Amino acid sequence: MTDLALPAGIWRRECAAELKRSWRLPQFLVPTVLTPAAFYGLFTLAISKHVSPTQAVATLAGYGVFAAIGPALFGFGAGIAMEREQGLIELKRVSPLPAGAYVAAKLTAAVAATGAALSLIYLLAIIAGAALSPAQWILLVALHLASTVPFAFIGFGLGMRMSGKGAVAAANALFLGSAVLGGLWIPSTMLPSWMQAVGEAVPSYHLGQLALGVVGMPVIGSVWLHGAIVAGMTVVAAIWAWTGWRRSPA
Amino acid sequence: MKQDLMAAASLTGVSKSLGGKPVLRELSLSINVGEVTALLGPNGAGKSTTVSLLIGRLQPDAGEVALYGLKPNRPAARARLGVMLQAAGLPDVMTVAEMVTLQSGYYRDPRPLGETLALAGLEDLAHRPCGTLSGGQARRVQYALAVCGRPGLLVLDEPTAAMDRASARALWSTVRDAAADGAAVLITTHDLAEADTLADRVVVMDAGRIVADDTPTAIRALAGGAVVRCRSAIPTTRAAALPGVLQATSDGAELRLVTTDAAATVRRLLDADASLADLHVHDAALEDAIVNLLSRDERIAA
Repeated sequence: MTDLALPAGIWRRECAAELKRSWRLPQFLVPTVLTPAAFYGLFTLAISKHVSPTQAVATLAGYGVFAAIGPALFGFGAGIAMEREQGLIELKRVSPLPAGAYVAAKLTAAVAATGAALSLIYLLAIIAGAALSPAQWILLVALHLASTVPFAFIGFGLGMRMSGKGAVAAANALFLGSAVLGGLWIPSTMLPSWMQAVGEAVPSYHLGQLALGVVGMPVIGSVWLHGAIVAGMTVVAAIWAWTGWRRSPA
Repeated sequence: MKQDLMAAASLTGVSKSLGGKPVLRELSLSINVGEVTALLGPNGAGKSTTVSLLIGRLQPDAGEVALYGLKPNRPAARARLGVMLQAAGLPDVMTVAEMVTLQSGYYRDPRPLGETLALAGLEDLAHRPCGTLSGGQARRVQYALAVCGRPGLLVLDEPTAAMDRASARALWSTVRDAAADGAAVLITTHDLAEADTLADRVVVMDAGRIVADDTPTAIRALAGGAVVRCRSAIPTTRAAALPGVLQATSDGAELRLVTTDAAATVRRLLDADASLADLHVHDAALEDAIVNLLSRDERIAA
């Protein structure tokens, strides 16, 4: 039956509308875009007098993952919880809009914010002398942007289960926890052993190790294993997000 | 039952519990093409749950819900459904025209933007961000979002709450037009004047069941009640105990009684208060009829 055919461009229009909406919410955009670059500039570049290009590259790997976590956790987690409280999702859910288009639009907005945050960090790294081959840059950009995905699912699961305030608190805790335990700020090798052990349970640790591999820095353990673990965690997070969506009446 | 072929949506033998409490008990209801059906009842009667089941936000524990023969959460069913939710918000930073355009894009044969804005009386507000609208204006945007896709089934949950009378009347007339064009319309309301003016059919719910389902005129007749008004010193508590009286209210000057037996009530009223004046007896309005129906239902349940 032709009834099943969706109007052409429904996904694209939803994504465009979500981008426009995020752009008009500077209170969301500014912190998630500026914070990672500010931290990178302050803690990596400003604190030490002579930053070697190697240092700039090694820290870039982790801070790029950090830059992806904010838009994912806050845009999806806190954003969706608040939208749910305001009844913004209800109408979408009873509309002939595929759930996938709704999620894709949110993800597009989060990836765009990550992209903006990343370009600032990359700029600072290049100024500090970071040099990578074109292939390395391409891989690094792809990995950093993709880091949004597992955290977006985690945020989505939170957002469908918690109140707006609760989700903001949880997103903050996860944001900082993922950065510290994942070794994104301080290399995992310099963390106390219990923190290293806990860190293995967060996706940011494995993403951070993958990023180190991309830029040619030493990696703890096998790159392939980190990749497999991140993929597995992403699937689990997606299932968690999906069950939250199904369970919630609105 | 008489018009199965014309039902756009139906609930058949539907039961639903929420938080362990039964909310709907074997409810059957069909929403027919070309008809405005008003769902009435006190808070907790199960109106919102009925709406949520119908639009696929909740799944029934038992029984079946169908929109055009499909489960309500199927995309093909949603494509023919327009909903105005009570609790739905609008994104503050998007303009009215942007929201209506986006929603129109969900449907395969939407109305042109200008037509939708005109239907909801939003021409002058098209470029206003939704965050700057008054409550009544936001409701009109919700209405525009519900009708922009030319839905065959229009579900309006308390559509005119927070609207001024002029906006409400304008909306009623476009709802009537939609039904005349062949849409099936379900509204829930607390406003009995709204049900009386707008609906072809009134369904009264109480405690998860349907207690009456007929035209507004037939419901008034079915309840068979009358209203007695007078000036009297009799306190409402005493008046409420008079024979036939279902409800006694007073605005200080005038005593107002809803009764099932006007003759018996008036006889005893005159006995009880020799100074009684300005006595009027008239047919119950829809509101009084429903009070009567609900209290009759309570007596049966008790």
